[in-house]
Amino acid sequence: MAPPDLSAERDDIQGIVASGYGHLPHAAYLLFAIDEPVAAGDWLARLADTVTTAHGRVQRRALGVALTATGLAALGLPERIREGFALEFTTGMTDDAHRRRILGDVSPSAPERWLWGGPDTRTVDVLLLLFGESGSELETLTAQHLEDVSGATLVQRLQASNATFDHFGFRDAISQPSIAGLRSGPPAQTIQTGEFLLGYPNEYRQYTNRPLIDPLEDPNVLLPNDAAGSGLHDLGRNGTYLVFRHLSQDVPAFWQWVDENVGPNGTAEGKAGRAAREQARTALASKLVGRWPGGAPLTLSPDHDDPQLATAADFGYFQQDRDGLRCPIGAHVRRSNPRDSLDPNPGTPDSIRINKHHRLLRRGRKYGEPMAPTAALTAPGGGEDERGLHFICLCANIERQFEFVQHTWVNSPKFDGLYDDPDPLVAGGTPTFTVQAVPVRKRYRDLPAFVQTRGGGYFFLPGVGALRYLATLAGDRS
Amino acid sequence: MTATKQADGDPDAGTRASLRTPLVTERRLTRQLPVAIVAPVRSRQLAPLRSLLERVSEDAAGNAELPLGRLCTAHYARLVLLEESRDLDGEAIPAQLLYMSDIDEPLSNHLDDLLGLAPGLDRVFGRCEGYPTRGQLTRESRRQWLQRHMVQTQAFYVNTVGRTVLQIQRESLLHTEIEQFLDRGDWGGRDPLEVRAAIQDHVNAVPELAWARAAVPGPGPLDIARDVVAVALPVVGAVAAAPVLVPLLPLYALLLRWQELHDVVETERLPAAHERRLAELEDRGPVNQFSAIGLVKPGLLRRVTIGVAIRGLDLAARHVFNRGTLTGVTTIHFAHWTKLDSGRRLFFASNYDGTVKSYNDDFIDKVWWGLNLVFSNGVGWPRTFLLIWGGAQDEQGFKNYLRRHQIPTQVWYSAYPDLTAVNINNNAKIRAGLVGSMNSEEAEQWLRLI
Repeated sequence: MAPPDLSAERDDIQGIVASGYGHLPHAAYLLFAIDEPVAAGDWLARLADTVTTAHGRVQRRALGVALTATGLAALGLPERIREGFALEFTTGMTDDAHRRRILGDVSPSAPERWLWGGPDTRTVDVLLLLFGESGSELETLTAQHLEDVSGATLVQRLQASNATFDHFGFRDAISQPSIAGLRSGPPAQTIQTGEFLLGYPNEYRQYTNRPLIDPLEDPNVLLPNDAAGSGLHDLGRNGTYLVFRHLSQDVPAFWQWVDENVGPNGTAEGKAGRAAREQARTALASKLVGRWPGGAPLTLSPDHDDPQLATAADFGYFQQDRDGLRCPIGAHVRRSNPRDSLDPNPGTPDSIRINKHHRLLRRGRKYGEPMAPTAALTAPGGGEDERGLHFICLCANIERQFEFVQHTWVNSPKFDGLYDDPDPLVAGGTPTFTVQAVPVRKRYRDLPAFVQTRGGGYFFLPGVGALRYLATLAGDRS
Repeated sequence: MTATKQADGDPDAGTRASLRTPLVTERRLTRQLPVAIVAPVRSRQLAPLRSLLERVSEDAAGNAELPLGRLCTAHYARLVLLEESRDLDGEAIPAQLLYMSDIDEPLSNHLDDLLGLAPGLDRVFGRCEGYPTRGQLTRESRRQWLQRHMVQTQAFYVNTVGRTVLQIQRESLLHTEIEQFLDRGDWGGRDPLEVRAAIQDHVNAVPELAWARAAVPGPGPLDIARDVVAVALPVVGAVAAAPVLVPLLPLYALLLRWQELHDVVETERLPAAHERRLAELEDRGPVNQFSAIGLVKPGLLRRVTIGVAIRGLDLAARHVFNRGTLTGVTTIHFAHWTKLDSGRRLFFASNYDGTVKSYNDDFIDKVWWGLNLVFSNGVGWPRTFLLIWGGAQDEQGFKNYLRRHQIPTQVWYSAYPDLTAVNINNNAKIRAGLVGSMNSEEAEQWLRLI
């Protein structure tokens, strides 16, 4: 299928869909609760004029705007229209015990303990994503927005910075899918527009459910027509869902566990012994991740890091590494994107075709002061949210993309034939981590939680026209 | 448990086997059977039955009321309340209780198993019509009532035919034991044959694992012949009838297409509360249950079509897809298609691995055509094109349809709740590799299973 021509749509699509703003290293996420719908509508209308779009080059700063289902309700979007959104979005991330089970938000990660987005914290309605070229640029931008807000109260202010390397010390955000029509990439990584933007055909050549509105309810024609031809206006078009997970990382716990489990490697005294031990630690930590710290995939470079492969994204597991002898089956990157390794017919386009139904566009950034592995070895663990990842991803179908990856791949102890191995890095404690080897595998037991959920929410990242439409609702009503 | 004794006899047989040629004994496979018992619930007994089932479901295996864990012949079992409903003519269909299980043959063993739960059985089925009253309660009267209320399952899928409950549980223990044994040693640099020999020695030294020294009977030549004949006969029949049937095909296609264009499609999403009620019972472990019910479309054309489609499905499931995969789906343990209420409704039940969402995706991605053949004869199914295309290919419409027809499985029991079908198959391969001779390469491949 030829990609849709998006050139005329770019100024309606928020910029964060097209770019992670790698050149703007400083970021802030501002979370608001709406108090006064009319004033909040005016505020959103002002934001719609300044929100960064996918049109043209982004210079020194950028702005994104997203809303929760409670935010849409507060602005006056009627329930019958809200029901056109995905159920996961309208009911929310912490809604019921079942969702908590499949997302892994239990015990230490239970929403009752969250810093925001949980049942015991203030409702979050609006999210502003701010990006700046420098710290002071971001400060100015943040101050401007805090000054400009009307009809809403700041609930939480989160700082973040560019995450080329995550806090465990590994290159992050490699292997992003390319959205057909927005960016070109290798075929195995190019995904239909409708997987990341509502109002376009998805990988099934179908339109994902989205709220459609009677033209009479859009008298100023702020919304585009439904491309599927229903004659209705499309509130979803050029918008998508934004999944936000505030994940704290216990860096001391991670490196101390690794150090305790490298075995007799490098027990020799002196400089040589220390170097050998450090090498052994890096090797084991890389087995958990599935890439070397520099980014090279274990499947392509099993024995050492390789700068040439730092961002290698176009490879499969089946041909070279079917049994996990290079990259363990349970390693984090392998299970978050299994590429060509699962049924049907692993190693063939059939497998890749199915894999494309479960891709995420990651836009996360890290927060907190970095800590080097050597410092982590002696630091006290279990700190109170000192550092971590503001995991953000975009997808048009929360259930088939984000939640699927989370429960069927990342958190599943049974992933790809395993027995009791959830993700060793992010599942929040693991009974078993198996490293496949010849003649026999090695099992690591009872890994502690290195990552905990401390907040989160499902947001709608609207197209600019849709944002204008939402901004007018409360005013029209009163 | 005569079936089990058969499966594990002849300890010397193992020496004749190897990894590539699994031992084939003359002994018969223990096949798996579907059991379905349905009875109308007595008026005013619905509420107490509901709360009783709730108590049972808190611990299906070990609860005091009806401890299903004592059923040693059942792989899975469930109790489902079919709420009062209406058929297409507006006629009432009363509330019914359905017991369904996947068992090892013979059926009489399972009935004995059930009768062994007598006081609990009375508490549950005593709320159904016609159940023996207190004065008439005997083992025989209960057995007769159960048999009288058994309904036939029209199509039955078994992941791997011949694998008994006991075998699955034992092979899981064997797997755990071998894993723990390997954890205790340092195997780096050792030859695979040496490691295998060490595992064999260890298993041989554990008296509780004596059964593992013999290979398990795989499908013998007779079983395979039976599969071939079972599929060949209808094919031959169809070919023979072709001169009559083929000229009718255009007319059939025309009538079907006309209906397809006019059938009512019901694929709107139900409210969040419905979703929550179903999800509440899901993902408590790696394996899940699915129960769904729907009305069959009216008219002769649909009745004949669904009859032929289910017959074909049953043949394929029993005789072709009986070795671990249902056209590429490796996550289904058992599945039942059962006509109820004189063919007015079709009940579908399955036990599968993963969440209902990944299960739906498997259907859409891998077996949409098979689903369409059968289920498009149900009222409300997403629109099909000539019985095969469309339908389940409509991702969201299909998912909504399934949720609309899914009903809560009030009680669900598994004899091995922590094992996926892939785990079970892997355990069987590990066990098979314990016997016979291997070269170093074969031993290395076998060790990768562990």
